[in-house]
Amino acid sequence: MLKTPLSRRNFMQRSTAFAAAVAAGAKFTTTPAHAAREKELNILCWEGYNSAQVLDPFRQDKGATVKAESLTNDPTMVNRLRAGETKIWDLINVNNPWARKIMAPEGLIKPLDRATFEPYFDKMMPAFKAPYKWAMDEKGEQLIGMAQRFGPYCFVVNTDKVSRKTAEDQGWNLWNDPANDKKYGVLESDDWNVFNICCIAGFDPFKVHNDDEVAKFTETAKRVFKGAKVVGDIATMNQSLVSGEIDFHLTGGTYSASPARADGAANIRGITPNSGPMEGGKGGIVWIEITSPVNNPELSPLATEFLKYVQDPKVAHTVAFAEGTFNPVAQMGNKECFDLFTKEELDAIQWDSLEEEVARSVEYDIVPDYDKLLDIMTAAKKEASAG
Amino acid sequence: MAAPHETGKGLSQGARNALPLMLFMIIGFAAPLLTVIAYSFMPPRSFGLTRAPTLDNYADIFASNSYISFGWSMLFAALTVALLALICYPIAYGMARLFGRWSPILTLLFTIPLFVSENVRLYGWILFLIKNGVLLGTLKSWFGIEPESILFTPGVVLLGMVYVYLPFMLFPMTLGVSMVPNETREAARDLGASRWQVFREVELPLSMPGIMIGLLLTFVLAVGAIAEAKVLGGQTIIPITHDIEIAFTYAQNWPLGAALAVLLMIVVGTLVMLVLKRFDLDAILGKR
Repeated sequence: MLKTPLSRRNFMQRSTAFAAAVAAGAKFTTTPAHAAREKELNILCWEGYNSAQVLDPFRQDKGATVKAESLTNDPTMVNRLRAGETKIWDLINVNNPWARKIMAPEGLIKPLDRATFEPYFDKMMPAFKAPYKWAMDEKGEQLIGMAQRFGPYCFVVNTDKVSRKTAEDQGWNLWNDPANDKKYGVLESDDWNVFNICCIAGFDPFKVHNDDEVAKFTETAKRVFKGAKVVGDIATMNQSLVSGEIDFHLTGGTYSASPARADGAANIRGITPNSGPMEGGKGGIVWIEITSPVNNPELSPLATEFLKYVQDPKVAHTVAFAEGTFNPVAQMGNKECFDLFTKEELDAIQWDSLEEEVARSVEYDIVPDYDKLLDIMTAAKKEASAG
Repeated sequence: MAAPHETGKGLSQGARNALPLMLFMIIGFAAPLLTVIAYSFMPPRSFGLTRAPTLDNYADIFASNSYISFGWSMLFAALTVALLALICYPIAYGMARLFGRWSPILTLLFTIPLFVSENVRLYGWILFLIKNGVLLGTLKSWFGIEPESILFTPGVVLLGMVYVYLPFMLFPMTLGVSMVPNETREAARDLGASRWQVFREVELPLSMPGIMIGLLLTFVLAVGAIAEAKVLGGQTIIPITHDIEIAFTYAQNWPLGAALAVLLMIVVGTLVMLVLKRFDLDAILGKR
């Protein structure tokens, strides 16, 4: 017998939750409410954490079934939880502002035990020392996640065509020069493209925009997409840069350029502008992934075990160079972890300029009027496709 | 003793036996479709089906420039179908009538690529067409000529669609051509028909079931194409399916994506119904 009477409204709610669970994929078998979940773990993450290199040793050590689904944008992952999938996932790995500013206030994630996890931050790079802002809730009281991968993310150039110095000096104005039309591509990363078009238009993306700025954004978005030779994924961007189809592309950095650099294309380089429209005249944006326990009523005890596991120097190195893209990790502050990186690996992740690039960047944040700007940008993209 | 099919009141035995399959079909096909339709009437950027229904999403679509994406999808699907009809008919005719023992080998050659993921095949085309790639790199090194790259242009999107959907036109068409009895051709020739008359008045009408199925199948698949425009076209054109994808991902506007999908279903469904009304498949298949 049902504990609560079945009304039309809660029937609809239950149906929606059921539909969401079905949509999440039949591979996730629903667990009876009373059953323990000691031996299973479900992770919603960016690619890398779902690789066998990272997961298999954990699976073997714990004798657990670990399932990980990777997605390539934050809003989709967060909205999966909003749509009722908190019952499915144990860990969520998204970029920094989403944990602190969105998921914690909405009750989508759970806090971690500070005494257990804060000592890990002390072994990370100096910028991540506890209490690390993006791992804490807005009040600065609760630890809501762990940091690991990070990197500057602005644009990428072929240094044989545009020198690093020119690109850093000219910065976002590369896209304001009509002579560059059809010489560049745009990475299909629409949330970041919104930030970057704001930068090209000359204002800070991470604030509410006035009518003049929205008008400038509209004009810039149309111009950027009209001048683009190609819009595509990371593989297409790197291939186009290496082959000479394009000279540079919007939205990119260590994350997107590292696969090409690791493959020997040292002339493909992520660039952080020397200056820009962000607070303090900064020109770059840096992302930091935060992995948090989901507010799952039946949270697997393996969630916290996994967060401890990826702090191990060897595992952190594996995470940095898991399949897909290669990225610096906060754990490189620990010499034991840093020493595992070869010269080639450090070169692939642009270790030589990482510190200065981070210093020239602001941290990724929420764009308050993102929905409006994204709609404008999507329309601009369609308009450009009409010729 | 009651006959096996008699059940008295309620469902017949046949209906009872069919019930599991019917339920499966309802859950597997009708439920997702109904969910999409229901979502299209939910307020923009909502994530449940419990809110008051609204037509806002449809109003937003008609106020936006989504017609560009609809236009691209329809245009490229129509061009793909037209080109494939022209390309496939001679091949189908050859496979059904002329190639003899080579036909199975050709069938195999046209089928094998279907075992490889569409994206992988399209990335293969990128390596072939990209600047300094297989084609342009060879022309450059062997002949010293450097033509402009044609990659990331609408023409290459069309090439990709023709390439990907060729088997879906070819095989029904081959079946259609092979359905034409040789005797009808011979009779027409004996009665003095020219080769053109035999083609126009005998072969084409009699092979029409296969041709129609090929045309419809290819059109429906091509109107839902997305990978060709994204991978080969570098998004120089944005088809409606890409619009739907953006709504469901970056925009997180499921109701808008659902409304676009519903409109696409209505447009494609209407076009297919109009064609079927003009060419009665049952009649040309000889069922009545």
